[in-house]
Amino acid sequence: MPAERKLMRYGHSEGHTDVCFEDTGRYIVTCGSDGDVRIWEGLDDDDPKSINVGERAYSLALKDGKLVTALSNNTVQLHTFPEGDPDGILTRFTTSANHVTFNSNGSQIAAASGDFMIKIVEVSDSSHQKTLRGHQAPVLSVAFDPKDEFLASASCDGSVAVWNIEDQVQVISWNVLQKSNDVSNSKSLCRLSWQPISGKLLAVPVDRLVQLYERASWSLVSSLSDDFITQAVNVVAWSPCGKYLAAGSVGGFLTVWDVETEQCIEREKHERGYTVCGICWHPSGGQIAYTDTEGCLGLLDNVTDSSLFASKKDKVVAAKKESKYEDLFDEDDDGHFMDDLSVKPTSGTDDDDDDIMPSAARRQKSGTFDDDDDDDTPIDAALKMDKDVVGLPPAVPAVPQQIYEGPMPTRPQKPFQPGSTPTHLIHRFMVWNSVGIVRGYNDEQDNAIDVEFHDTSIHHAMHLTNSLGHILADLSREAVLLACEGTDELASKLQCLHFSSWDTNKEWIVDLPKDEDVQAVCLGQGWGAAATSARLIRIFSIGGVQKEIFSLPGPIVCMAGHGEQLFIVFHRGTGFDGDQSLGVQLFQLVQKRMQVICGEPLPLSCKSYLSWMGFTAEGTPCYVDSDGVLRMLNRCLGNTWTPVCNTQENCKGKSDHYWVVGVHEIPQQLRCIPCKGSRFPPTLPRPAVVILPFKLPLCQTATEKGSLEEQYWRSLLFHNHFDFQLSSGYEIDEEQRCKGQKEQQELLMKMFALSCKLEREFRCVELAELMTQNVVTLAIRYASRSHRMALAQRLGDLALEKTVAEQEDSEHTGYPGTWKKTRCNQSESECEEVQQLGSYREQEVMQEGCLEEQDEQEQMNIQEIGKPGLNLFNKDISHDTLSPKPSSKDGRVNPFKVSSSKAPATFVPSRMTNILDSMTASCKRSSSGVFSGGKAGKDAILKPLAPRPKSKTQTTLLKISGPKARKKEMEKESTEEEGHASQGASAQHSVNIKPKTGFQLWLEENRSSLLAENPDLEETDIIKEAMGHFRTLTAEDRLSWAERAKGQTGEVPDVKKRARVEDNDDFRNDKESNTKKKKTIDTSKLSAFAFNKN
Amino acid sequence: MVQMDPSEVEFLAEKEMVTIIPNFSLDKMYLIGGDLGPFNPGLPVNVPLWLALNLKQRQKCRIVPPEWMDVEKLEEIREQERKEETFTPIPNPHYMELTKLLLNHASDNIPKADEIRTLVKDIWDTRVAKLRLSADSFISQLEAHAKLDNLTLMEINTTRTFLLDSLNSMYKLRASLQPQPAAKGHHY
Repeated sequence: MPAERKLMRYGHSEGHTDVCFEDTGRYIVTCGSDGDVRIWEGLDDDDPKSINVGERAYSLALKDGKLVTALSNNTVQLHTFPEGDPDGILTRFTTSANHVTFNSNGSQIAAASGDFMIKIVEVSDSSHQKTLRGHQAPVLSVAFDPKDEFLASASCDGSVAVWNIEDQVQVISWNVLQKSNDVSNSKSLCRLSWQPISGKLLAVPVDRLVQLYERASWSLVSSLSDDFITQAVNVVAWSPCGKYLAAGSVGGFLTVWDVETEQCIEREKHERGYTVCGICWHPSGGQIAYTDTEGCLGLLDNVTDSSLFASKKDKVVAAKKESKYEDLFDEDDDGHFMDDLSVKPTSGTDDDDDDIMPSAARRQKSGTFDDDDDDDTPIDAALKMDKDVVGLPPAVPAVPQQIYEGPMPTRPQKPFQPGSTPTHLIHRFMVWNSVGIVRGYNDEQDNAIDVEFHDTSIHHAMHLTNSLGHILADLSREAVLLACEGTDELASKLQCLHFSSWDTNKEWIVDLPKDEDVQAVCLGQGWGAAATSARLIRIFSIGGVQKEIFSLPGPIVCMAGHGEQLFIVFHRGTGFDGDQSLGVQLFQLVQKRMQVICGEPLPLSCKSYLSWMGFTAEGTPCYVDSDGVLRMLNRCLGNTWTPVCNTQENCKGKSDHYWVVGVHEIPQQLRCIPCKGSRFPPTLPRPAVVILPFKLPLCQTATEKGSLEEQYWRSLLFHNHFDFQLSSGYEIDEEQRCKGQKEQQELLMKMFALSCKLEREFRCVELAELMTQNVVTLAIRYASRSHRMALAQRLGDLALEKTVAEQEDSEHTGYPGTWKKTRCNQSESECEEVQQLGSYREQEVMQEGCLEEQDEQEQMNIQEIGKPGLNLFNKDISHDTLSPKPSSKDGRVNPFKVSSSKAPATFVPSRMTNILDSMTASCKRSSSGVFSGGKAGKDAILKPLAPRPKSKTQTTLLKISGPKARKKEMEKESTEEEGHASQGASAQHSVNIKPKTGFQLWLEENRSSLLAENPDLEETDIIKEAMGHFRTLTAEDRLSWAERAKGQTGEVPDVKKRARVEDNDDFRNDKESNTKKKKTIDTSKLSAFAFNKN
Repeated sequence: MVQMDPSEVEFLAEKEMVTIIPNFSLDKMYLIGGDLGPFNPGLPVNVPLWLALNLKQRQKCRIVPPEWMDVEKLEEIREQERKEETFTPIPNPHYMELTKLLLNHASDNIPKADEIRTLVKDIWDTRVAKLRLSADSFISQLEAHAKLDNLTLMEINTTRTFLLDSLNSMYKLRASLQPQPAAKGHHY
């Protein structure tokens, strides 16, 4: 299997670096010319622990919790690991130390210096210092023989020497290197390496080769080479098993040889070709960490074939996953619990023990993970054995072993407070939510808590001394809830600052029973809750009365409250292979007292953990996982979770994250803090909140269809909370709700029109099924206008069904389904609009002659429903040129006729007009108009299906006999409509509707003259004629008429400048071309709709 | 000639938009100059400087310093300004006024306010020195026109009165030195 080269990442500033693995392989430790030692929990660690050791660090070695660094200040220093506390100076030189290394048992170190000397000292007390003199130039590197007999060194004088440690004499020396006067001028760092365990071979990088010298005989046994390497080899490292040798070279070549066969098994090139100056193997093999002279850290994964490292891959995965948890798991106590974690997973039972176990003094230690090494589960045993085997050289006959190759349990994540940063930080956010911010400071001078409110009208900011050592906090508009863990002497405490209390006691404290620690807290409205290590949820009233107490099915992860709702996430079992196994509970606490979600699994992205959870401002539970996916509860689909946003999609860099602080459904806002290269923000500089949009992960959202669908479902989802609020007896914002419904219906209509355009009639009907009844009528009109008779027919049936369903609905008081429920509510809410509409209608009522035209208008408006904000005003232009033909209506009315004849509805002409009038007003108005009309008198419900009020229309209807005639009519009409529609498309500016158009005005003035000219004309023919005349007017004239019309209405707001003349010209052109190609009529006609972006 | 007061320039600068984080809740405000808001506590919103300062003085908001008001960026600009002979582009046409107003009224919201004050002053000094220098060479070389790109209003304003007055005076002096009939009445 080829090695997988991970992306490099910056570890240090430019310059020489060195790298090594911690003994267990859990940490990668690097040092660099910035004088820092960084401790990485895997390559993905965004927040490596940094220890400053000096001005420049040239080399480091790590063994048994002792970190030795060779520094530019001529010293070799010892630090504790991983705390990083200075533990003294091991030795000094007269110039800087170049390389430092441990012997096999970690009791001694050898350091090479620029003053030609090599020193060997005891690590424990810097005693027994031995000095090896003999090199004639700065010493480049040293290497201990694993048997502690010899020491090899390389020097700038060109020699590689082997020393007898006991006698401090050179055993042998080879002049194989190029001479130089200083380490910085040396071509190669010439890091030597002894074969582990047996120490049989010494690997010496010599120019582009790696020479292998045999122990005792000190003869050159072989030279490893590869054509791939074009520049000098810098560093070599043996795999822990001694079978493979890795080499890193100037120019960034990485090579791995199988020493026995001398075959090169891996070749990798540094992604930028920087010189590799540090290389080391994972203690269990399989991975190679390397650093370059530009301060970058890289990792090669799956380096050798897995026969030897049987479960290596699993371990790598586990290690990787663990590294991702760095924010969740405290680092302070690493020494205690990091032991072997990559190899030794914990099992579910361990956790249980742990939670019941008497709490240790520190919270970290009483964490979710059991660190007890003796507690061998079968998996542990298998892994340990496996590990041992890995460490053995191939020469030793392999003991038959059982290797556990099944799925590896994941470490369960620790409990956390949503919107908090890790507890080990000195300055941290204890909570940041939509109410305010609670910050905790824990430095030398001060242990304090700052409470700050976004809205200062809630309460002024507070500064508290944190004498109890609170680490958990939640904040609501009523109170601040703080909690600390118990210590040996003190019980865990819950403190509530009830600042909204009207009495003088604004604070209460509750002690928890001994050995029970608070692990999570949350506040609702009038109550607070604490989850404890005894797996209890304790509910308190905000004033401090103890209320309900109940057991959790598993260890708590996180908790959130809102209003009466309590939202709990807990571990419902052990996750495997990086996945967490979380369960969720949702309660209604105060009035209803019910469990809405009963411990169902919480869906998470693959191999992620929970990173935030809470409620939207409107009260819908939602949560974010470590992959940045925000999921929201969909109460309308059996309490399922819908992903509504992936914050990672908005990130620029791979290691950037968004730290969520709040979710709002109206307006749709995801409030979060961008964190560059980390998962959480620092307290200073004060982070700024940004807003991310929501996006449902529907397919093909780049296409129009996909984007409309996404918008529709998102709108639906984000308006769900109204139903919930209603059902829980909250007031809701009717206006917002109607707005949402209007938006949804508009989107449906757009989708409908789009499907029509794509000739997907079946899909049209499917969409129509989602529409409200009144919008279906619009859809019918649309369908009939675009000559989809079959579709119109089906829609008619559908409308009928919907009407019937609605009737039944209103008869039943109980709401059977959400959809119907919504509609019923809507009808109620719209009731009040009827009156308004009535008056509007009166305004709008036109004289008889204009009725036809108005009909046309409304047809147009139907089409324009698809484009909100599109110019309804343009009708005055279109009317200029459109001759309303009553006969043309036959084609489209016909289908209605059929269904209307079936329907028992009686037709009321005046109502009809009302509806149409209201339709022109706006989509919402019209819809409510139709609807409320339907409510007022059931007989009028099928109005849109009824024939025209004009008797003439009826007669023409009868005249239609053959398909030919109809076709002709249709064509005629569509030409006009075409013009009409394209006209609509060309108009770009939104203008309000007005009752009279320029043409109407003109017609009024010129009617008499027209009548005089053609006395025998009928009303409709007059209009037709008039249209013709009006069209012959110049564009300017028509414009002036239109202006007059505008002026007459007066109150039309927001009229924007328009290139009306141009519009007219466009229109004429369109018309001409369209009469020529009638076959393309439908498609081009639909170009008038908003889905054509222009 | 109408003289423009620095306070008038400052007034113009108050139209610049800055980001604030309000600590109150208010719906959209519809003003002649445009709509402002809505204001949500804790959520950044862009408002003109005059409103930001007003709110700040009433402790109704926290001002987010403009992006360029950052020590590193300003140092870079200062170096650039010192290196180049001509005027370098400045991140904001009212940088001086903005800095002054923000630092005077909202220094607690601006990290390293003192350093920023010094840096902006340095930049200002460098630029004004350049301006004086170029005015000097302009006059001494009797040039007819000069091109000064990237000058801000405030900078122009500092030199306008003096430069124009002195040019006028010089013109008069020269004219009187070589009296020409055509020159007369030119000014009056």
